[in-house]
Amino acid sequence: MFKKLLISILFMVPFSVYSADVPITGNVQSRCVITTDTPGVYGNPNAYTLTTASTDGGVQPIVRYDVTLANAYYVEITAPSSFSSSPSLPDTVTWTGNTEVKTVSDATNMGSYETSKVEYGYTDKYDLTATGSVWFKTSSTASLGGNKAFPGGNYTALVNVECIAK
Amino acid sequence: MKKLIVMLVLLMSSPLYAHEMTPTYPKLSPSHLDNVYKTTMEMFNKRSDVEYYEIGVFDADWNPIPFVTSYQVIRIRYLGHVTFDVYIRKSDVSRATYICSISKLRKDSSTKTQIASRICSKFK
Repeated sequence: MFKKLLISILFMVPFSVYSADVPITGNVQSRCVITTDTPGVYGNPNAYTLTTASTDGGVQPIVRYDVTLANAYYVEITAPSSFSSSPSLPDTVTWTGNTEVKTVSDATNMGSYETSKVEYGYTDKYDLTATGSVWFKTSSTASLGGNKAFPGGNYTALVNVECIAK
Repeated sequence: MKKLIVMLVLLMSSPLYAHEMTPTYPKLSPSHLDNVYKTTMEMFNKRSDVEYYEIGVFDADWNPIPFVTSYQVIRIRYLGHVTFDVYIRKSDVSRATYICSISKLRKDSSTKTQIASRICSKFK
């Protein structure tokens, strides 16, 4: 009886040695990720207008922000106010542009983003107060002065999207 | 639940063009050089349309501050990951507020809008 007990205890000793916990460590950093979901395209509804409006054959650029830390970032999105590349133009261009929240991943905590935004010039500033994803869409229209026709060629304009730590 | 599934399907089906830089709040610490501080940043390029990013250091009013990195314009291939050190003079440490990376776009041959992305971390 005593021998059996002793053998059992001896078997248990090594198991207690190997039962140490093995830690798994990881490091998740807070971040803001800017993702271009849709690059925009200008439609050309008439000779003197280029626009991203879908009714005129354009496509609005859509950008997504993913934030993993609440109240740590603000967003500034600036609609174009000039072409970054274009043919030589015979007159000045009048620009209009605006940015809006398209979709949010958390309607409860992000529902006020659009109403709380600050607008100055072509730039819209949003405070990202919650974690999750927000999609923004930007509209842009360029009209050539005197209703003159845009010369044939390729036109590109830049939308500047920024995510800045607070 | 349905909304979550729809959101996931949309995320998985759309192509990704993402720009990311960490940490959000880097810290400057003394480097191996006298009177020079450094911090280490990481970038991940998921924008297939962008291969180069420019680094900048700014004060609270967005005035540029002199700094040194291995390259001021860093090449990061699509899905590439880069870790880089930024060196700042001790005399500029108190002014340095933001460190930013901005995408450098190539001239394109179509009529469209291009998206220039900039992410700024803040020294704390």
